[in-house]
Parts: sequence; structure tokens; C-alpha cells
Amino acid sequence: MTSTTISVNGRTVTADVEPRLSLADFLREHEGLTGTHTACEHGVCGACTIMLDDRPARSCITLAVAAHGAEVRTVEGYDGDETMATIRESFKKAHAVQCGYCTPGMLATAYDIVTRLPDADRDRIRLELAGNLCRCTGYIGIVDAIEMTLAEIRGGS
Amino acid sequence: MSDRGVGASIARKEDDRFLMGTGEFTPDVQLPGMWHAAFNRAQIAHGRLVSVKAPSGAEGQVFTSADMADIKPIRSTASFPGFKGADFPVLARDKVRYAGEQVAIAVAPTRAEAEDIADSIEVEYEELPAVVDMNDGREPSAALVHDHWADNVCCETQFENGDLEPARAAAVHTIHRRFRMARQTPFPMEGRGTLAHYDSRLDELVVWMSHQLPHPMQRGIAHFLGLEINNVRVICPDVGGGFGLKTHLDGETMAVCWTSLKLGRPIKWIQDRLEHLTCDADCRNHQYTMTAYTDEIGKILGMEVECVVDAGAYSPWPWPIGVEAATGVGNLQGPYTVDALKGRSVTVCTNKPPSQPFRGVARPGACFTDELTMDAIARTVGREPWDVRLDNLVPPAAMPYDTVTRKHLDSGDYPEAFRRCVAAIDPESVRERQKTPEPDGRLIGVGFACFYEQTAYGTGPFGYSAWGIELVPGMEMATVKLTPDGGLWASVGIQCHGQGLETTLAQVAASELGIDPERIAIRHGDTATAYAGTGTYASRSIVVAGGAVAQGCRELKPRLARIGAHLLQCDEADVAVENAEVRGPGGSVTFDEIAEAFYHHPENLPDDTDRGGLTVATGYNDKVHGGVFGFGAHGAVVAVDPDTGQVEILDYAIVDDCGTRVNPLVVKGQVIGGYAQGIGNALYEESDYDENGQPLSVTLADYHVPAAPMVPDIKYDYMESPSPYTTMGIKGVGESGAIGPVGAIGNAVNDALKGLGVEIAETPITPRRVFDAIERGRAR
Amino acid sequence: MKPAPFDYARAESLDEAVRLLSGADGDARPLAGGQSLGPMLNLRIARPALLVDLSPIAELREVSEDEDGVTIGASVVHSAVEDGEVPDVTGGLMRRAASGIAYRAVRNRGTVAGSLAHADPAGDWAPVTMALGASLGVTGPEGRRTVAADAFITDPLTTVLEPGEIVEAIRVPRLSGTARWGHYKLCVKPGDFAESLAVVVRDPDRDRCRVALAGPTHAPILLDGVAGLVAEASGWSDALADEIKDAAGGGIAAAGFADADDRYAMNVHATVTVRAAREALSR
Repeated sequence: MTSTTISVNGRTVTADVEPRLSLADFLREHEGLTGTHTACEHGVCGACTIMLDDRPARSCITLAVAAHGAEVRTVEGYDGDETMATIRESFKKAHAVQCGYCTPGMLATAYDIVTRLPDADRDRIRLELAGNLCRCTGYIGIVDAIEMTLAEIRGGS
Repeated sequence: MSDRGVGASIARKEDDRFLMGTGEFTPDVQLPGMWHAAFNRAQIAHGRLVSVKAPSGAEGQVFTSADMADIKPIRSTASFPGFKGADFPVLARDKVRYAGEQVAIAVAPTRAEAEDIADSIEVEYEELPAVVDMNDGREPSAALVHDHWADNVCCETQFENGDLEPARAAAVHTIHRRFRMARQTPFPMEGRGTLAHYDSRLDELVVWMSHQLPHPMQRGIAHFLGLEINNVRVICPDVGGGFGLKTHLDGETMAVCWTSLKLGRPIKWIQDRLEHLTCDADCRNHQYTMTAYTDEIGKILGMEVECVVDAGAYSPWPWPIGVEAATGVGNLQGPYTVDALKGRSVTVCTNKPPSQPFRGVARPGACFTDELTMDAIARTVGREPWDVRLDNLVPPAAMPYDTVTRKHLDSGDYPEAFRRCVAAIDPESVRERQKTPEPDGRLIGVGFACFYEQTAYGTGPFGYSAWGIELVPGMEMATVKLTPDGGLWASVGIQCHGQGLETTLAQVAASELGIDPERIAIRHGDTATAYAGTGTYASRSIVVAGGAVAQGCRELKPRLARIGAHLLQCDEADVAVENAEVRGPGGSVTFDEIAEAFYHHPENLPDDTDRGGLTVATGYNDKVHGGVFGFGAHGAVVAVDPDTGQVEILDYAIVDDCGTRVNPLVVKGQVIGGYAQGIGNALYEESDYDENGQPLSVTLADYHVPAAPMVPDIKYDYMESPSPYTTMGIKGVGESGAIGPVGAIGNAVNDALKGLGVEIAETPITPRRVFDAIERGRAR
Repeated sequence: MKPAPFDYARAESLDEAVRLLSGADGDARPLAGGQSLGPMLNLRIARPALLVDLSPIAELREVSEDEDGVTIGASVVHSAVEDGEVPDVTGGLMRRAASGIAYRAVRNRGTVAGSLAHADPAGDWAPVTMALGASLGVTGPEGRRTVAADAFITDPLTTVLEPGEIVEAIRVPRLSGTARWGHYKLCVKPGDFAESLAVVVRDPDRDRCRVALAGPTHAPILLDGVAGLVAEASGWSDALADEIKDAAGGGIAAAGFADADDRYAMNVHATVTVRAAREALSR
């Protein structure tokens, strides 16, 4: 067992864990934050994407012990965040959700696109989404939602 | 409230929980004392099991088929000629028949520890030659997948309708082609998963499953475990996609249930991606040999076809081996007026995972076959493929139209939908463009596909009952209840895993009663809350469960009217039930007030209040039993890079008609989602095996699921031809989008290659296959 | 897909890392971003006894620029290159290459040095560093040494690193103002490992021209014959494209880089080389 201390959605957690425990399983099983989903566990599909020190990261191939000292933000950690509220509203309007399994990872990547690439066009949005697989929506609704969010943010600022 | 009922593009009720991360999928469920399961799996594709030895220290944590002698093998039934059921053992017995087949279950407090144990189980095999290709499997020299069979053919079907002789005699052109579809996997984002625990208070085995068919699973688990239905409850909570994969009863689930009962503790197994890509059921592995007879302008006079299906090693339950083949042959004429068809199907067992229907069942294969044949006809007769199609499509005046394969096409203007698709693509402009070489050297092609989608079929002449299978879908049930505060609660036996049925079924009820969808709760996916049902598959749920919910609302209305009229002190004949109230000549009373009276103030009720109260359990059955038919036309423009073989979609158009659209936003989402899967089918996805039957596509580095850059925007249009046979004219739409892309993209690629005189006839159309075709062309 | 058990240690210094990695009976592996190792652990393809986490070592995060080039510490992540946080001395080549590696979430954790040391034959950095004439600073129980990028990967998933050795930093020489480069990556979906990846760097002022090629089955190679043609070319023409394609084919066959009977693979690698050269010569 190895001790790890992680800030999870603003709350500091210290736990003794097996070194092999992934950050995703730590969040899901130790912290009960089951909004973070795993779907490929080899870093390709993006379902487990969370924010690690304010940048998107794969929690399935990040060890909980290696996240020692980091700040983690999961889908459950956006209370009061206006940007995420706008993204979520756009996802609803654009029908960017079907089964919902890829959605938390998709939101993390959408948040990254919206905050890092305010001028992204549809091609760029698609490229940035390449690391988040969705099997239901065909992505068009998701691209619409992110484009809609960017337009709204541009319009509001 | 009608602005939020049928026809309204309202946002989905289920979205909030998914967007907040508060949905509950099977892996999210944790129970006290729960252990995790992992499986030891066959390392070879075919061999005898000599011995299985658990590691020391793992006593009571490893179980094999020898321990589970009391479980019946999963056996499916069908009346197909020569059907051999290929019992699916829960854990391998005597032999393993595909790489990855489960040999032993290991359980431990964590999944990692369970995997440690599963990994250290020593299994000795006596390896046998593997049957990898379906055609090889038909050879007399082939190894036998099932030793007690005379050969590997597990099912053959014949179909003949119309007289083929005159067609042959009159034919000016005979077009002969062979088409193949590779194996692929449905790849839901959430894999399978099962959590079983015994509830001693209710004497009930509670099984959480990531599945599409709760009631059939309840029946299957009870039957194969030897329990009463009363002692099994199946809960399918939020399910991360299914696409047909999650319609059969897997051995892992049975082993988990058995082990949970044996150990008296909750056991959870979550299929990981390696398991999914290595050894979960595959799909689409078909081969079609088509001969089409046409007149001089390409009007099809008759067709002969042989369909060979690679079934893998076992027959899944409840949809057995043979369903794919029967569906493939049974739709081969597509939406065209073909008068004579002779078809034969052969289903072959191989040393690969079982084959399972995937979105569209065999219709994408049939579409690939008939649509590429259509373009081959056009090239042969020297006409444009869109002109030839228009000559062959079923005209609107012929509706309803019985196809040569006895599909009763109920409604729609197929040529008009196709014309709109052609207009959106503007193929004449592509012809202009093709006259000049592209600056980047790529080859441009345009292609179309037309298809119908058979939705919500049940007991019809070419449906489940004719196939003699164990669970024939028919009447779909709903329980509809006005709650004590005037909301509506409806419970259905379908399962929603992304289709938005919690919203669309609420919209149906809203249209009937005028209650706001926000006040309507749709409960599904749980055998304890739904009276009956067969689940969600075959584009059926909005038709059949929608019909049942509407029927429930309609049966509720007179009961509401009677109480309302009594409260209004007027005659029952003078009231109307709408907008969530009962309105009489002098005023109205809300449903809230009626519910209040019924549940809490019976002193205010009339003496003749219906004894059924404000709950209705009722059902829906189609007026026709062979389904109702949507229609779609897809068009694609592609660029083919002759140096790399890569195909890029430059333009794509879809015109779809699924009758009355309950929620246009959801309908479009279903079509686009299918389109993306169709792109994977057409261009990218292949579960490949080596000559020993070892799977080669076991990670996402090798199995290519379309990502956002591979799914371009589309031009989307729709038509609404209500079905004359269903409630509100609704047709299903779940599979439609997935059927057309193989045909449209395949034809566009072949159009690009036509100058070289070669055609692609196999999916996926990978760069290597394109390059090989071009090489063949250049060598000519 | 959970890893087999292993021990874990956080190294606070390079010396400690080397000491830890030299122990564990040779069964220790360094952990940087874990973006290559993580999947292999989860798939149980890699089963180390000990993981030594290099991330606490501050000096491995350092980047220093001088007039001859830039030195990139081993813990610097791809996205730092992509975003220009690492001074780009290559006229945009490093940034282009970084932006095509996997996905942003992976680039935020994965390191340039870790990717090189993992030595996936289709990895993005090897052909880039080879074409740039970069070198790797290596430290280990026997001290420090420098290894040229083109001598680093010997076979798929195999490097010249000895037990206990780790990459400390990557030294990238500065291209001159007149240098031009081409970078062409062919893959099924953006972010995938390359089916074929060619990098061409032509720097006449420094009298340098290098062409590197990577693919899924063989360690990356330099195509000297192609480099000679590119060095001498004065512009782009179809005839030159044909010459380059032939030269690439020859180099690929000579190195056994692809199965010579596999016409598709041979053609794809040659085509990708031509396209990278065309970019370099058309800028």
C-alpha cells in the first residue's frame, strides 16, 4: 500500500492504496464518484477523461499514487461553473447525449476545447474530439453543442 | 400541452442525470460484501480441455464447469431446416471452441485480485485444427467444431417466390457478383456487466445487467439455473449502448449468478474492453452470391442469391443461429419491385465467438448486396444508377406493396425520398467534376443506396414465430397510472439505452392526456416494475411500447371522465378529457383534483366508479404482424487516394421516413448515430483473426471505431408517411441509419474506381483493399 | 484489465531514480507520464516488479535554450511542446509533431522522453528527432552518456538503454532560418499510431538534409538516398517525386523496413516519404 493525497473536487483526500489502482477506480470505488466511467482502460476511448490540475487527462491510465499532490476535477465537480452550465445546456439542446456513457469524458474535453480554443471551428472541434469515442450520437450533435457554446460565450463577452 | 407531445423536439428528460454524472450503470452499483469476478479464458481457438487447475490458496474462489453441473447449457431452439442448436456452455466443457471462451470463473474482493487468480489458473489443452473461415468450414476436410455433428453447417434455409424461369429467359443482362462483410463488433461504450446477489427477504436472485431484454433474461436465468421466475428479478439500469449485442444471455452472467448463490455474496463482473474485443459476440460476417436478371434498361426481373453466414461457435439465446441468414435472404430485393427471387442460406459454425445480430441485423449486408448490384447493373446497361433505381423502386401508387420476400410495405413515397436525396447530392455536378483530374490526384465517386427498415415486427409470416424460436414477441404491455397528485406513471417492458424513450413515451402520453411530460414518469428495464415485455431491439419500442402507453391512456380516459363529470355535476356524455383536465359545459376539474378525490376522498366519487381505478394494465399489438416499414435513401460523394487507398467522405445526404416522428430531435439523432456506425461498417471496423483463429483486433489500436473526424456533417431531410397500421402512424427508426452507408459509400468508391474497371465487394473498404483493387485494375 | 501487482517508489532525485532502477533484479521500470506504460500495465503485457516515478524530480522538468538549440528535460510533456511553452528551434516542426500525438488528454501527461524510451516503432518522436539530428542525454549507474536519436531505438520496443539507465533530456539542434521541413503522418484516425510517418529536414545553411521514416513493424530508419535527392533538389516536380519514390522504395527494401512482397506497405511508405519531401520542398 502507498499513501496518496489528492484534491478531489476541492476536497483533500488521503488514502493508502495499492500502487496498481488507477485514478479512475480510485475515484469510482474509493470516493464513490461513479460519474467517471471506464470503457477501454487503455487510454484511447476517452470515457474516463477528468481534469487533472485543470487539464484533461485519462484517469484509466493514470495511477492514483501518481496523482499524489494533484487537483482532480470530475463531472461531479462543476457546481457553480458557468462555462460547464452552458456546455450542459447546449448538449441538451443539440441532442448530444444518447446512452450517456461517454458523456462525462466528453464534457471534460468539451470544457477544454471551449476554454483553450475559443475560435475553434467545426473541423477543429472534431479533431479535438478524436480522443473521445461515442457510439450513439455520430458526434454531430456534440460538435453542434460545442459550437453553440462557443457562440454563446463569444456573444456574451 | 400538445406543443410538448408527439411531434415536439423537446430536450430529453434523461439528459440531466447523464450530464451531471449521476446516471447509474451496472458498474456503478456497489453492494455490501460484494466480490468481483474475472474469467480464465481459452488461449487457443479450438482444443480439448485436458485439465484445469486452480492455484493453491484460491480454494473456494475458482469454479469450473465441473462445479456447475446443475446449470443447464444455454440452448436455443428454432424450426429452421437442419437447425442444430450448438448449446452454449456457461463455462467450457470438454472443449474450447474459440479463443477467449470462458474456462473458469475466479472471484475475489477486488477485480485486480480476481484477475490475479484467473491468470494463475493452469489449463492444459490438446490443440485441434481451427475452423476460421466459413467457406473452409463447409469443406468435407474441415475440422468439426461440434464433434457429434456430421459437418459444420448448422442451419440451411430456402426461399422461393415468383417464377424465376421467365426472368432468366427474358433477361438481357445477367449480373453476377459475390460480396463479403467482415466480422465486426457492435462496440457499445459500456461493455457487458452483471451483478448478482441473493435477497433473502424476498427469496429472490436480483441480477443487475447491462442488457436490452430484462424479461427474457429473467426467464432464461431462471430456466437455465432451475429456478422459478418468482425467484429471479432482473434490473437493467442505465445501459451504455447495446445495438443488439446485449440481447443474448451470456455464459459469464450465468456463471456470476451461480457463484453468487453458491457463495451467498454479491458477485460483480464487468466485461473489460479486452474481453469485449477478444471474445464477445461478433456480427455482420456474411457472404452473398448474387445473380440478378435484368431487361435492357436495368429493370430487375429476378434474383438468385446464396447467403453464407459465419455463426461462430455457438448459438446465442434467445435469438438463435439462423436469424441472421434468414433476415439476409428475406430482404435481398430491397425496396424494389422484383417479381421472382430464389434464395438459399447456409449458416456455418467456426472457431470464433458467436455471431449476434447488430443494428440492422442482416439488412446492412442485404443493402450492400442489392445496392452494389444495382450500380453494377447501371454500369452494365450504360445508365446512371439513380435512373436505374427510379425504374425499380416501389412506386407510391403501389402502396401497400407486398415484396417478393413477403414483406408488406405499408406506406411511403420511396421515389420521392430518393429524388430528394439525389437533389441534395447533385450527382451531375460530380460527373462534371470527374471530367477533370483532381489537383491532388484523388479519384472522385458518387454513390447511392435505398433501403427499407422493417421495424417492430413480431408474429408475422416471416418473423419470429415462423422461425420457431422460443420467445416470440407479440403483445407489448404497459401499466399506466394517474398518481395521487395528478402526475402519470407508466411502466413498460422495453429497455431504454440511449433512444430517449423516457422522453418519447412521455410525449405519447402527453398527447393523449395533455399532462406535461415533466410530470410523466416512464419506468423500464426492471422485471419488478413492468408486467411483461421482451425488451428493446429491432426498432420496435417506440411503436409497441408507444402503442401500449397510448392505449393505457385511452382506457384511462373514460374512468377520468366519469369521476370528473360527477365532480362537475354534469353528464358524462358532456365532458371532454384533454389538457390534463375534464371539462364540462360549466367548468372543468383538473386531473390533480380527480386523483385527490379517487385516492383520498372516495366519499366524493360516483357509485359506479370503475373498479380498475386509475391504473390500467393493457397492451398493444400491431394490426399487422410483419412489422411496419421505414424508408431511407443515402447518397455519398467520396475521394479515393490511389496512392494510399484512403477514402474520404466529401459529401453525404440522408432522406429518411419513419412515419410520424414523436420527437424529431431524437429521430434525427437515431439516424445520425446509425450513419456513424454505418461508416465504421463501410470503411473501418474489422474483427480480424489469424489462420489459427487468434483474434488480431483486441485493442483500439487495431479495432477502429469511427471518431469525430471520420464522421462528417450530413445533409439531412425527412419525409413523414404515417403507417396506416400503428398508433399515431409511428414507425421505428433505430436501425435505419446504419443500413444505408455500406451501400452508398461502397457505390461511391466503385464509381471512383470505375475507370480502372474494378469493383470493391468487401467491407470494410480499407486502404489495403482499395489499393489491391487499384493494382488489379492497373494490371489489366 | 487491471495491472498485475507491483511496488512503487517516488524518486526525489536522479541519483535515487538510478539507484532504484538498478535494483529490483532488473525488473524495475521508470514511470513518467505513463501514457504508454499505463495501457501495457492494464493489459498485463508489462509486469514490472517496481515502478519508479520520476515525476518528483524537478530537474527533469527543465527546459533550456541557447543559441545552438534547446534541451528538453525528460519530464516535459507533449502539450508543452504543442503549446510553444518549449522554445521551438525547429521552425514549427516540433509543434506540428506534438499536436498529432494521440489526444490532448494524453499529451497533457505523456512525455517526449517517455515516448522515445517506450520505443513504439510507430511512435511520433523518433523520426522527428532522427531527422533533426537530435540526441538524448542518458544517465545510469555507469554515469552519463549521449546517444544520437538515430542510434537510440534498435528494434520495436527496444532501445540502447542499459538496465538502470534513463533518458535525462533531449537535445534538439536549432535549424537555420532557411531550413525547411516536411512531416507526413498516415493513420486511420487522427491521434493513432502511424501506419507510416515520414519527416524530412532540409537545412542547406548547415549542410544538412535528413529523411526519417517510421512504421508499425520495424525500428525507424533514415533514408539517405532520399535525403541526397532532397538536398540537391531546387524545387518540386513530378519527375523528382518519382525519383524519391524509387529511392524510398530502395531504402525501405534494403533496411527490411517492410515486407518487400507487401506491395501495399511498400507503396504507402514510399508515398508518405514523397509527401513529406514535397512539403519540405514546397515551403
